[in-house]
Amino acid sequence: MSDVIAPPSVRALAREKGIDLAKLARDLGRSTIAREDLEGGRSVTGPAGDTSYWDVDHSQYGPVSEEPMSRFAQVAAANLAAATALIPQVTHHDRADVTAIEALRKELKPEAQARGVKLTALAFHVKALARALREFPRFNASLTPDGKTLVLKDYVHIGIAVDTAHGLMVPVIRDADRKGLWQIAAEIADLASRAQARKIGPDEMGGASMSISNLGGIGGIGFTPIVNPPELAILGITRTETVTVWEGDTPRPVPMVPLDLSYDHRVINGADAARFMTYLAGVLADPRRMMV
Amino acid sequence: MAEKHAEFIVLGAGPGGYACAFRAADLGCKVVLVDPRATLGGVCLNEGCIPSKALLHAAEVIREAGEISDWGIALGKPKIDLDALRARKEGIVEHLTGGLNGLATRRKVEVIRGTAKFTGPRSIDIDGENWAFDQAVIAVGSSPVQLPGWPEDERIWDSTAALDLREVPKRLAIVGGGIIGLEMATVYSALGSQVTVVEFMDQIAPGADSEAVRILHAALTDQGITIHTSTKVAEVKATKPALVLRCEGAFEGNIKADAVIQAVGRRANGPKVAPQAAGVEMDARGIIAVDRACRTNADGIFAIGDVTGNPMLAHRATHQGHVAAEVASGHAAALDTDLIPSVAYTSPELAWAGLTQLQAKEQGIAHKVASFPWAASGRNLSSGGGDGLTKLVYCPETHRLLGATLIGSNAGELLAECVLAMEMGATLEDIALTVHAHPTVSETVAFSAERALGTLTDL
Repeated sequence: MSDVIAPPSVRALAREKGIDLAKLARDLGRSTIAREDLEGGRSVTGPAGDTSYWDVDHSQYGPVSEEPMSRFAQVAAANLAAATALIPQVTHHDRADVTAIEALRKELKPEAQARGVKLTALAFHVKALARALREFPRFNASLTPDGKTLVLKDYVHIGIAVDTAHGLMVPVIRDADRKGLWQIAAEIADLASRAQARKIGPDEMGGASMSISNLGGIGGIGFTPIVNPPELAILGITRTETVTVWEGDTPRPVPMVPLDLSYDHRVINGADAARFMTYLAGVLADPRRMMV
Repeated sequence: MAEKHAEFIVLGAGPGGYACAFRAADLGCKVVLVDPRATLGGVCLNEGCIPSKALLHAAEVIREAGEISDWGIALGKPKIDLDALRARKEGIVEHLTGGLNGLATRRKVEVIRGTAKFTGPRSIDIDGENWAFDQAVIAVGSSPVQLPGWPEDERIWDSTAALDLREVPKRLAIVGGGIIGLEMATVYSALGSQVTVVEFMDQIAPGADSEAVRILHAALTDQGITIHTSTKVAEVKATKPALVLRCEGAFEGNIKADAVIQAVGRRANGPKVAPQAAGVEMDARGIIAVDRACRTNADGIFAIGDVTGNPMLAHRATHQGHVAAEVASGHAAALDTDLIPSVAYTSPELAWAGLTQLQAKEQGIAHKVASFPWAASGRNLSSGGGDGLTKLVYCPETHRLLGATLIGSNAGELLAECVLAMEMGATLEDIALTVHAHPTVSETVAFSAERALGTLTDL
């Protein structure tokens, strides 16, 4: 007997529509399939709503061309829509003084050249975030789909969103809290180049404590990234800007990196997020604290 | 070279074949239905399900007439007019086969009486006439198995001969204690024969739940039927005064009989239509393998019913017939269930579907069992019913029904609820919370579910 429970009429309808009931049941996370599940073609996990007015013949307004969405892009789109629809997200904005990091990077440049590793700012962000996650264990957690249990993780893996020709990929640096900056920098470079070539194994993605979306090399002064479930938060980074900071009566130019943390408000409160970001900015401002 | 052309041709007009032909006609096909018999309906209607049920009804009335003396009503010994009984049975068969002719005519199905054989992938010979076809359905059924090494003798019957009701032999031996053998035992025992059933397996109705079978065994024994299980007929000698069956096994000795019915199973009729000429694969037992859409390996050729193997039951053939007609007409139909109910129309009836307790155990499927004895059913006792049992096999985790066995009067009718419950994925709670009319024997199904749930107050 099949593990999927569906009345004979529903099985017959599924056959007519060419729907694999076992697969549908897996997708829905259920063992029982009703007639309603087969009708309408509306995504059950996605938001419900009338999208008929989106269906527009654009060519009546001017010349257009069409390009099919890849399977990869369609899956990503569905996941993003579900994450937005189902998770109440808040984005907290802050910035960090990267004077010390910039100085350190300059200082270590000869060594970096000797090692053949580019010591990027992102490597420092990964290390600092790993440190912050150890300090704030509720950010290093996942909520079960039924919303009843918070799973706290005794490891720190950081996902890095990589913009590739075929779409967004998120390879993961494992145990970032236990790795040195050189190793983290080397791993980022390796994963990013392999992601471009689409040579990332499935075991090199998933399981992250939190992800980083870094637009620093491109531009922007801030954005609202979307949480990548089952992670609880995501850190957005945009371009470092030199701003004027007043120390008493003295203006001082300080390179500041904008930081945007989107988080799952079901688990994380605004005050927690503010404390987390203050701590993170502090670690970035004084990279020695990454070690202690 | 083909002279005639059929869009959709069905070979065999049994319950599978005519259902297929009629469904295809209803879907807009031009249908030709071929059968060597003079009447439609195949074995089921002409010499199987229906005539046997007519005789079993007569047997049941004889039995009840005897038992009613316990209620203070004496009807005396029944006088049996065998010719009138036979005529009545044949009248019922004629009525039904005649009805089928009407249904065929109304659907403009062309019925051809003849013997068909494939001559190529798209051609069939029907009694010397060449036909080309677009799609064909093989629905040629099965025939009783003839045991090898038996003598040629008029007194050795198959089920067809047994239903002819030629005579009521004084001593009747039945080889094979399956459904057909037990039904014949029930009929002839009521008509006055001394019946002995010989079964090779360790229980009658092999495959059915052993607890239910014990009740049936006891009831048949009470009716005067002798049953030898785990016994093999080693030799049959035809002597003038009697047929002598030398038995080995649990029963060692000779059984003398005035007639013997062979009821050891049925063999698929695949070879009769030369399917290999059309490229249709058939195994050594004459069975043509099909998928759930009833397609054979050969494009455009379907097979349904007994010729596709076990279980060889009319209701399976009917469903397959509809599937084949629908698939041939471009629909995505399939027989996507293994729940084919089995019923022995003995007295009491034995009915089952899904997994038995033993099958669940052997297949390592997590299961529990709940039952309700009919001795505690008011309706059963007040209508003169004897011992009976309703037994449900269910999944302890989900409480879904996995199988059901019922034994008692009209058990075959009650089984439908259980089969529907299984098809719908019903749980014990669903069955227990469905209001069953009181007093009915159907309550035993709900009571069994309640017993499993601990909510029963009737025991």
